[in-house]
Formats: sequence, structure tokens, C-alpha cells
Amino acid sequence: MTIINPYLPFLSEITAVIKHTDIEYTFRMTYQGDVKPGQFFEVSLPKFGEAPISVSGIGDDTVDLTIRKVGKVTDEIFENYVGDHLFLRGPYGNGFDIDNYKGREILLVAGGTGLSPVKGIVDYFSQNPADANGFTLLVGFKSPADVLFKDDFTTWQKNLNVIMTVDTADDGYCGKRGMVTEYIPNIPIKNVSDAVGIVVGPPMMMKCTIAELLKAGFREENLWISQERKMCCGIGKCGHCKIDDTYICLDGPVFNYTKGKFLKD
Amino acid sequence: MLDLNTKKIKKNAYRVTKVRGETASRIRVPGGLLTADLLPLIQHIAETYGNGKLHLTTRQGFEIPGIKYEDMDAVNTLLQPIIDKLEINQEIPGKGYTAAGTRNVSACIGSNVCPFATYNTTAFAKRMEKEIFPNDLHFKVAFTGCANDCIKTRMHDFGIIGMTEPQYDKDRCVNCQACVKACKKKSVDALSVENFRIVRNTEKCVGCGECVINCPTRAWTRSPETYYRLVIMGRTGKRNPRLAEDFLVWANADAIVQIVTNTYKFVENYIDRTAPGGKEHIGYIIDRTGFEEYKKWALEGVKLDQRTIVKSPVYWGGIHYD
Amino acid sequence: MGYQIDLKKMNAILADLSKTYTIYAPKRFVGDGTFAHIDTIRYGEISDLAEIEFAEKSNYSFKEVLLPISETLFYFTENEMKEADARAKGAIVFLRSCDLHALKRLDTIYLENGAVDSYYKRLRDNTKFILMGCTQSFENCFCVSMGSNQTDDYDAYLKVDGETVLLNSRWEALDDALAGATAKDVVPDFVTENDTVVELPEAVPQALFDAPFWEDYGNRCIACGRCNFVCPTCTCFTMQDLFYTDNGKAGERRRVWASCHVDGYTDMAGGHAFRNDKGQRMRFKVMHKVNDYKRRFGTHMCIGCGRCDDVCPEYISFSNCINKLSALVKEDN
Repeated sequence: MTIINPYLPFLSEITAVIKHTDIEYTFRMTYQGDVKPGQFFEVSLPKFGEAPISVSGIGDDTVDLTIRKVGKVTDEIFENYVGDHLFLRGPYGNGFDIDNYKGREILLVAGGTGLSPVKGIVDYFSQNPADANGFTLLVGFKSPADVLFKDDFTTWQKNLNVIMTVDTADDGYCGKRGMVTEYIPNIPIKNVSDAVGIVVGPPMMMKCTIAELLKAGFREENLWISQERKMCCGIGKCGHCKIDDTYICLDGPVFNYTKGKFLKD
Repeated sequence: MLDLNTKKIKKNAYRVTKVRGETASRIRVPGGLLTADLLPLIQHIAETYGNGKLHLTTRQGFEIPGIKYEDMDAVNTLLQPIIDKLEINQEIPGKGYTAAGTRNVSACIGSNVCPFATYNTTAFAKRMEKEIFPNDLHFKVAFTGCANDCIKTRMHDFGIIGMTEPQYDKDRCVNCQACVKACKKKSVDALSVENFRIVRNTEKCVGCGECVINCPTRAWTRSPETYYRLVIMGRTGKRNPRLAEDFLVWANADAIVQIVTNTYKFVENYIDRTAPGGKEHIGYIIDRTGFEEYKKWALEGVKLDQRTIVKSPVYWGGIHYD
Repeated sequence: MGYQIDLKKMNAILADLSKTYTIYAPKRFVGDGTFAHIDTIRYGEISDLAEIEFAEKSNYSFKEVLLPISETLFYFTENEMKEADARAKGAIVFLRSCDLHALKRLDTIYLENGAVDSYYKRLRDNTKFILMGCTQSFENCFCVSMGSNQTDDYDAYLKVDGETVLLNSRWEALDDALAGATAKDVVPDFVTENDTVVELPEAVPQALFDAPFWEDYGNRCIACGRCNFVCPTCTCFTMQDLFYTDNGKAGERRRVWASCHVDGYTDMAGGHAFRNDKGQRMRFKVMHKVNDYKRRFGTHMCIGCGRCDDVCPEYISFSNCINKLSALVKEDN
């Protein structure tokens, strides 16, 4: 019996590169197979090694991988361009199940690159607005220069209630300012006890946002989060992403808050 | 009415003290290690013939003060079991120590106890003592287990500093970098990481073994051979106190023993017999003859390990008051 | 089937087996210890029973036979991947009862938790396990508390008794080789008590994660990872990509052992780390060994070999920590 080697990556072609900021790019990669928002691939980056990257968009036979040039690990990919190849493994993790949110009133709160793993959800409801009983996207970035998916925002604004804010900006900036948490109390929610909240972002942003949502009357079982950790093998072996008896790479990274709130590193 | 030959008294390891009529006996403890059963014997001498006090010498011996010159024979008799037990070479049994010029060979606590030590300093000190004592020539030799040099070998004519050549098994290395951090913070920063593996700068490495001590997986281990850094001609004193300088690096034990014994021949040949008391420190003799002449004598017939680096010429600094 | 056989004959059988199997056993590596003139007992290849260190506990466990400290997974070029070859021979591993229990923990992680690890499996499937008895408990052992002092799960049991070897075989190839030996009932030596007794905590409430209890360890632990590396049940690893060319497109990927105590374990790209405090790292490890693993897989992970206590340079006792934790949990209830 041949054992499948789960560590061997496959070759994927870069079909498009979308530059968002000086340090953030989306790579559209060929991939055939089922994939959900919130799942991730282990991407082999020449000169640096593997890094877990969330799926930020799902097309026919392609997946989008948005990579931030942080640390030395993810620098090198930016030398690649269309037609070149990268080695991938995955998709790994459970991902978001959009069926859980259909027919519901949805508030999606994302911070910075935290928008990547949930972008597929936004795309879906932007294309199928009737599937939600109202959809608000609340996104915070550090500054106007850090805004991701600018073109997508134009599309989303047509069908969804979109609030984009930046922590700080120069004087001439016309958009909204301040933390996402400041906007939560003023978002009109029709039936908060049944509304779905989805929160993804840096650890501190998630903590504060969830506190604000609970204060606003959201129920714990209606809140969903995605936990970013050091997922090194993606298949429950290497141990780096383990929190208590949970392997984020296998059981997550998406958790209902009733489970997620007990995850203590 | 005392009628004494002070030269003989001094050579018998007694001191001519400032107190008229009283001497002090010096007990050698090569390597600074003795069994506790000798302490009551020393206590007995101090309480019977001395003033009940003991001084711990800087060279790791005992000095028993307050002994009457006329009691020296009796004290020598009581010293015999101590001399026997510590296996001190002796020309005439029962007559105490038969020389004092070559001082007690001292050593740090070494690998019997200390985690940093690369070798058994006591054992090597005893071996050296056996080779060079008794001798009236003024030689100070000290052994220290690692480059920390706790015994301060660099203030000796001969200082022997232990070294290990770290052995690296890359297949046991997990790149935790404990060795790199230890080497940087506690030693000479001789380690770096290339492609997740450790690279040792062999020029820089002092063989302290910090990498071995800090390695959690036994990727770093010690070389089967112990190596030594031989530092020479350090001294205190009035004219030109100075630290010993490196002569050999990565040397083997036999070579060191032979260099020290060769140096006795060199001193015999070049010592200034007209110096006060016929005493002249080796360092000053070398200052006179030049290092090259000394080196010729010191390395005569010495078989050096192929790894050994010979520093030549050697220059000393220190403070000049003359 | 039990046997008695002359030592020389048994060594001849091993020599014969070594044509097909590499034989690994705890072995004394003279002078290879942390300090001068201190030996290390760890696993290495043997060809004669005399090379096996039966009298002492090994400092490192057998796990490096199945999970090499550094293992190349594959080689890559711009467009291709080539899996690293497996060892040509199978393996025979001599180990004690506790370590045989540890083997099950490794199996659980590497064969059951998520995808099957093909590298582990290909070694595991070609390995035979020979039990070494324990006539006495060693310092810091608490196998009895962990229920790992006895086992039935071996391919053979072997005991050297002077010039005679006693065996119990459940392995056909060995039975065949022993055909000429005297039949004899052989019962493995197992210890039934240890000086160290550990009381395991009932489910540890999360409220205790921030108990001041852990701060003490935060002040003492130096994050060297020795406890993890000697542990037969620690399974974590980190990937390393080694590049042969400047463009980074040809090279090899390997995995090396990782430690949850060592800096960098939870670091993500961008630098955020989730457990900077060493006390919390201790909490994480202890909880994994005697709480979390059991919640997920049904048995405790720790098998009570006490190697972590043997090796800790700061004299942190894992077994004592469990006992203190149990007392805290009781108090908390």
C-alpha cells in the first residue's frame, strides 16, 4: 500500500498579481478542488521556507493568497510574477461554512490582514445579497496606505453596508477614522439576539471587538472567529498551533465563540 | 642562644619571620585538594608547636606560624604522614620538605566539581608537582579548568588553561541556538548560524566548552583529547608586574610537562648567580636572553600536537616601575 | 514463546538479523555528556548485546530512531519534488516498558491525529521492538503512577543473565532463529513501585492557568528545552528549508525537533509570539502531558520515565509539579 506523503507540495501557477499596498499583494494561483474561506495553504517561499497563508478569494480553478511582507519569511514571494510557479500544500483547516450564515443578519468585523480569511464570505454575500438578512462589513486598517482590496470595496458597497475606518490618517483624509469598536454601537441591527458576528484580526482587536459585540447584545453562539497561529505542518503533527486539546490547523482556524473563548495559548 | 643557617631553613620550607625565635612551616597541597583526615594532623602541629593558628596561603597550602626554631625537627617528623599521603617527592624521609623554591603547584577545583572545567586540574597539578619538585629554583605553576581562569594562571610563570575542541554533530542540531547565545554572552562570540546549522570560527574559539554545556541535544560534545593553552611568564613584583602571555594554544599535556622541565635547564644555564640570594625569576632571565633563546630551550625535544599553535615571538606588557 | 540461549549464540543471531535490520539500543557514549568526563546514554547502533547499557536509564529516549532529530523530507528544484529515501534496512529497537507506552503516544500523533505521517509510518512499519526489563526503579521514575510500568505489547523480551540470554518472542523470524534454543518460561521483569509517586489532577480548570503557582517556574526555567528533547512523548518539530542555489529554488526541506519551552516556538511571521512567559510555557507543557492530551485522545501523554527531572539543569521537577497542581485542583474544587 502506498502511503500518501502529506508533506509533498504541488506546483501552482501565478495567474495574476494584485498589489494592494507597498507590502501587501494578492497572488492568484491555479488550484482545482474544493476550498472554503478561512482555510489556508502552506506556501513554499523561495529562500525562506513555508508559511501558512489564508485563502482570500476563490475563483474557478484559482485561489487568491494575500501575502503581507512581514518578517523575512514572506519577503521573497514578491519577486515572483505572473507565469511563475509556487509550491503549495493544502487547503488546510475547517474554514468558514457560509451555510451557517445564510438567511441571517450578519456583521463582519475585520482588522487589517484579517480581512483575507473572510473576504470570501464578503464576496459571496456581495454577489448573493438576498442570501443574508442584511450584511454589514466593518473593517479597520492602520492608515489609508494600509487599505487592502480597494477595488473590491467599490463592488461591495453596491450591495452591502460597508464601513471602513483607519486608526490614523493625515489631515486631508476624507474617510472614517477610529477603531472598529467605536462604530459597533451605531450599527443598526434589527434583531441582535439572532444576528451573526464574524470577527477576524489581530489578537487585541478581536478581544475588544468581541467584548463590544457581546455588550451590544450579540449571543456567544452567534459569534465566529478565526485564530491565526503558527501553523507549521498544517496536519496536526508539529504542535506549534496547539492550544489546550485543540489543534488550530485541524479543528480551526474557525471557531464558534462558545468554543473559541476557552482557547488560551 | 640560636645559631641557625637561614638558607637551609628556607630551603626546608620554613620562613624566617619577623618574630625573633619563631618560624613558620609551609605545607604543600598540590592541586589544592586533600582528604579531610589530614586536617587533624595539621591541627595537631599548630596546637603543639605553633600558636594554634593556620594561614591559608594564596598558593593553596597551609602555613603554620609561631613555631620555635628548635622544634623544626619535631615538626618535620609530624609532617611526614602529610607528605606521604599527598605523595610529595622527598629526598630524605623524615626531614620535611627538602626544597621551597619551586612553589606548590596550584589548581582551581576543576572537573571533579566545576561544570565549566574541561579537565581534572588536580590530577594534572599532581603530575606536574611530581615532575618538578623538589627544586630550589623559583617556579610558579598553576592549572585552571577553563578560560575563566579562576586560579589566575596568568599571574604565574606557567599557567595551564584547559580547552576542549567542540565536536559538532549537525544531525543532532535543532538550531535552538543555545550555544550561539551562550558563546556570545559568556564567551567570545565564535558561533554563527548558516542555513540552520552552526558554524564555529575556529580562529576565535577559545575551547571553553560553553557550547557543549548549553547544548540540549548533544549536538555539541567534547573532543576525546583535552587541549591546553599554555600561558607563560606572568608575575607580580616590584619592577614589572605583568600578565602571562599565550605561548602554546591547543597544546597537549606531555608537551606542557616537557616545556616546564626544559625551562629548569634553561634557568640553570642562564640564571644570574650573583643575584641576591642566588634567586632570579625566570621571566627576568628571559627578558635578558631574549624570547628566541628561551623558545629554543623550551621546545627542545618537545613533540607538539599537530593542532598546536606556537605563538612566536611572545611580547609581554605590564607596568614598568624600573 | 520463551527461550534460554547462550550469549554467544544470541549475538550470532543478532549478527544475522543485522543483515536486514539496524539494531538500536541505549548505548554509553563515553565523555559525550554536558560536562567533562560525563557520559551520555542514548540510542545508537549496536552489533553485540554487550554494547547495550542495561544497568542505567538512557538520558535520551528511543524516539530518535523513529523521529530523527533532523530529518530530510524531500529535495526540490524549480519544478520538482523528490521524496528523501527511507532507510534501506528495517530497525530493531531495544527499549523499556515506559518507552513502549511512549510509542503509542507517538503513534497517536503521527498516525491518527490528522493525516498519516508517511515518514513516521514507513519507519514504524519496519521496526521491531524488544523489551528490556526493569529489575529496579531508577531515580525519578514514576511509571507505576502513569500505568506504564508493564506492557504486553512487544515483539520480544530479552534479558542477559551472565553468559545466558532469556527471551520471550512474539516474532516469527526470531522464533525461527531461536529454533535450536532451550524452551523456557520467561516472564519479563517489571517494577511495581517507584520512590516517586504522582497523583494526577482531575480536569484542571482554566482559572488555574494564571495561578501564581506558574510564576515560580517562570523565574526558574531557562527555556533550554532539555525536558522536551529527552521526553519520549514530545513530538513537536519545525520545518527548515535549506537552499542550494541563490534563487532559493533548489534545496531540501527537513524537519527538526522543536521545544515548546524554547524561544520562537509560537512566533508567527511578523514577530507576534503567544507565550513569552516561561511559566506559561511550563503550564502549556504540563497541561499537554497530564490534561489536554487525555481530553483529546483518552490517555495521559506522560509515561513517567522521569527523564525531564533527570536532565533539568535548574532542578525543576515535573513530577513534583504535577503533585502540586493536583493539590491546587483539589483546593480549587
